[in-house]
Amino acid sequence: MMMSQCSTELCMLLIEDNFGELFARIFTVLQRYERLTLPRLRFYARLTDRQLHHGLSAMIQHHLIYHFTSLDDGNTYYEANPQAAYSLVRSGKILQLVETRLGEYAAQVLEAIMSLGHSSIAHLETLPELQSKRQRIPNGVNQGENTVENTVEDTVDGNGEKEEDSAAPNGNHVVREKPVHLHPTLKSLASHGYIHRLREAHFQSPNDNWIDASRIIASRPDVKQMKGKQQATEIEEKAKDLVKERTEGDLSRGLIYNGLPQGAKRKRDHGNSESNKQAPNGTNGVNGDHVEDEGEEDNDWSEDEDGVDSIPMDSNLIVRVNYEKLDVALRNTRFLDLAKQDAPSASVEIYDCLLRRIEYQTARCRDSYEIPREGEEGEQYSAPIQLSSIVEDVDPNLDLTGCIGPMEPSTVLNRGGKRPLDDETNGVNGDEHEDEPSGQNRAYGIDQHLSILSQPPLNLTTKHVISGLPTWRVAFRGLARKLRHLELERMIESRYGDVALRVVRVLHAKGKLDEKRLQEISLLPFKDLRQTLASMQTGGFVDLQEVPRDAQRQPSKTIYLWYYDPDRVCSSMLEDTYKAMSRCLQRIKFERGRERDFLEKTERTDVKGHEEEFLSEAELEHLRNWKAKEALLLAEVSRLDDMVAVFRDY
Amino acid sequence: MASAGSQVAELASKLYDACVNEFDPDHLFYQNDFLNLKVIPKNDVALLLECTQSLVNQNLFRLLQKDGKLTWKLIDREDAEKLRNLTPDEAMVYNVIHSTERTGIWVRHIGNRTNLHKSILDRCLKSLEGKNYIKSLHNVKYPSRKMYMLAGLAPSEEVTGGAWFTDGVLDANFINSVAGYIEYTVSRKSWYEVPASDRKKRIKTASGKVDVKTDEKTYLPYPHGYAGYPTVAQIASAVNESGITPVRLGEESVVQLLEMLCYDNKLVALGNGEWYRSLKSPDAVKANQSRKPPIEGDDLSVANKHLVKNGMTEAPCGQCPVFRLCAPGGAVSPETCEYFDPWLNNGLGF
Repeated sequence: MMMSQCSTELCMLLIEDNFGELFARIFTVLQRYERLTLPRLRFYARLTDRQLHHGLSAMIQHHLIYHFTSLDDGNTYYEANPQAAYSLVRSGKILQLVETRLGEYAAQVLEAIMSLGHSSIAHLETLPELQSKRQRIPNGVNQGENTVENTVEDTVDGNGEKEEDSAAPNGNHVVREKPVHLHPTLKSLASHGYIHRLREAHFQSPNDNWIDASRIIASRPDVKQMKGKQQATEIEEKAKDLVKERTEGDLSRGLIYNGLPQGAKRKRDHGNSESNKQAPNGTNGVNGDHVEDEGEEDNDWSEDEDGVDSIPMDSNLIVRVNYEKLDVALRNTRFLDLAKQDAPSASVEIYDCLLRRIEYQTARCRDSYEIPREGEEGEQYSAPIQLSSIVEDVDPNLDLTGCIGPMEPSTVLNRGGKRPLDDETNGVNGDEHEDEPSGQNRAYGIDQHLSILSQPPLNLTTKHVISGLPTWRVAFRGLARKLRHLELERMIESRYGDVALRVVRVLHAKGKLDEKRLQEISLLPFKDLRQTLASMQTGGFVDLQEVPRDAQRQPSKTIYLWYYDPDRVCSSMLEDTYKAMSRCLQRIKFERGRERDFLEKTERTDVKGHEEEFLSEAELEHLRNWKAKEALLLAEVSRLDDMVAVFRDY
Repeated sequence: MASAGSQVAELASKLYDACVNEFDPDHLFYQNDFLNLKVIPKNDVALLLECTQSLVNQNLFRLLQKDGKLTWKLIDREDAEKLRNLTPDEAMVYNVIHSTERTGIWVRHIGNRTNLHKSILDRCLKSLEGKNYIKSLHNVKYPSRKMYMLAGLAPSEEVTGGAWFTDGVLDANFINSVAGYIEYTVSRKSWYEVPASDRKKRIKTASGKVDVKTDEKTYLPYPHGYAGYPTVAQIASAVNESGITPVRLGEESVVQLLEMLCYDNKLVALGNGEWYRSLKSPDAVKANQSRKPPIEGDDLSVANKHLVKNGMTEAPCGQCPVFRLCAPGGAVSPETCEYFDPWLNNGLGF
């Protein structure tokens, strides 16, 4: 991967921020000189052997460095892994996502794995911070899968008391539950695909893996016999499979039940969780009344919890965080945000269910390594999800009809904006339907909501009928493109105003246009149009092409065409975003330098944790201010990371 | 000889009257058309030629050439009167301008075609304009060119640029007011307004709790495949009935405006431009339109509130004019940046 100046700088800053100067130094040298052997690396980095060995092994543990031992010359080459370095900035967002999905404890487990780089299950079992948390689980025995959710709620309810209170009476429970609790959480993380098995190939750069695999395939006798093009394609195909096989770390097999991973929080459960908490035995009965198959399913789940899940995960298994999959989940939250902009709330809920289902079946955001060029990108649909399974997932208490207008076209509005009377009866009709919810009606209602989402301009969903069964899917590439355009449009709007936005949209839709035609379509006065175009050209958002009509290239005999190339703008914006992130991080460093004396005092081991005792009121205020300042800058970095994700990863 | 001349004149006027009676004024006459009128005795071609020549001299006929054949066109007696009062130069200029009809003609082209000296041409144009025979016009495509056309004609769409131009300049105020009207009209038809009596109940069912803000109107989207969205024809007639336009707008003009609104992300075309749907509810549209444009020197944070945001637009770097020069240790650097402190204070202020 070619690294630009800005992203290199950013990676270095991130590593320095997280791991300190030694790592940053090694990483910078490797980024500057690309692949290096140990002696060369020592020469360039000017570090002692001891430092270097120590640093390299720790960085390999964190996947910040790839290494590869060549069979030809026996040398081991080291190479920077910028992807992993960049992922550091996203860790907070990922943990937050996992916390909302799977609860606080799951986030802690993931955090532990993240901070270790990779870890064996056995090691995770011994970690004290993962064990202390088990105390939070109230009456864990009959709770089954809901424990995870409840932890979230408990924290809201004021977990402070609970921890102390419940520890004493439930003590024996808790001790018994200890190993069981870590393992179900790990299993649910694994079945969601958020963590995966560490493979040896993960330590090597993708290129090395590829070359290695091609070599192995090429040396096979059956391939050797082939000739020319046939051989080349054969090698390519087989090597692809081999790389896939070697890097495949999927742990979700066998853990997905009914298309749902373990511990998946579902809307309907969420809706009922309150009653669950008060009377855990009653829930099944109550649910049974609503929908027949739910009771039975819930039983299956609890069986799962008690039976299969008490089998702990293989403690020799080594796991790491699967960033690719987490990007999929993060991308889905962005799609959901898009839907929230103007779709009714019920549609958003249903869309959430659809996206969840799709997430479980999507391993990565896209197949190609780079984002394909605009217009050359084929549409890639998500796995189709059957309407019936969405119906299962949606909270049965969700009001479907209340937030859609009537189907019948109303008679034309009269001038005052008052609707004629018969319109109101339409509304009443809608209500009547609502009173008799049957399975059929419900499926129809959900289908209606998904149809609303499929409307332009966003086209969030696409209907697809497979052998007579209605299924829904999401056109990922198109939506990812829309996200990219949206980010660009926001920037254009804030910099050049809404006039510029219109001009850019026209150019994007129509291609290259001369000024006159552009004016006719955008209906803007020449003066405004020229000003906007000129300032946008300075900013690098639009460009001008000259088409001379004769060989002399006289300006008067030249056609000037304006155009807007989103690909180019995207890549330059990406660089700018990297740069802005670096600047924020550098500013934190600078601000910290300004406050060095004060901060050193607060970070003294005797002061830390006892700030109230040792610091004066003014100092406490100062500390709070500093923390807010740091948080603001870090939040900005994370907001910028959202943009990077859109431009680069989705 | 004199009798022959008067005979020709008589015949000529007969011929002219016959032509006016038999054909419409825009007809292009060939020789055969005259002969078919049976005005000329014995279909004498030489005599016919004399008659037409005399009519041309009287400015009652205009001599034209088509496909290598001579043709003639009628001129009104009134126009002929006008022309007869002109000097030969003026008449020539008049004829050239006349020939371009509703598109008008550029002064330099008149010069080329008449071969008149510029000062003479200017004098002719001035006197013609003074007599109110011709008028100058603005061409949208070539705003810098001075163009003329006959005073009695209305300039063509091509010249004026359509309904959205006034005197060759795009009329932004007019466009904005019509666009605003259209957006609101379409918006009213794109959202279902919950009747006041129903409102409270509906909100209860939707969110499971009573919403306090019952004063606000609630708008619901229509289901997919709803056929009640306004069509182009409906929108056009609504605009024309509203009385906000001095002239009647054609459907093409309205479509032009609708497309512009689509580019503004205010409307969405459905079914290949057959229907239009608004993205914002009528209340939102109204609020948006009543919003005043930010005045210079206003607090920037207030003005920015309306804009959609992302990481880059918020960060000081996103707005920084010298962002490209910024480098650690440079003249512009993150350490010496003067935008961060106000930004931080602003961020911590609330």
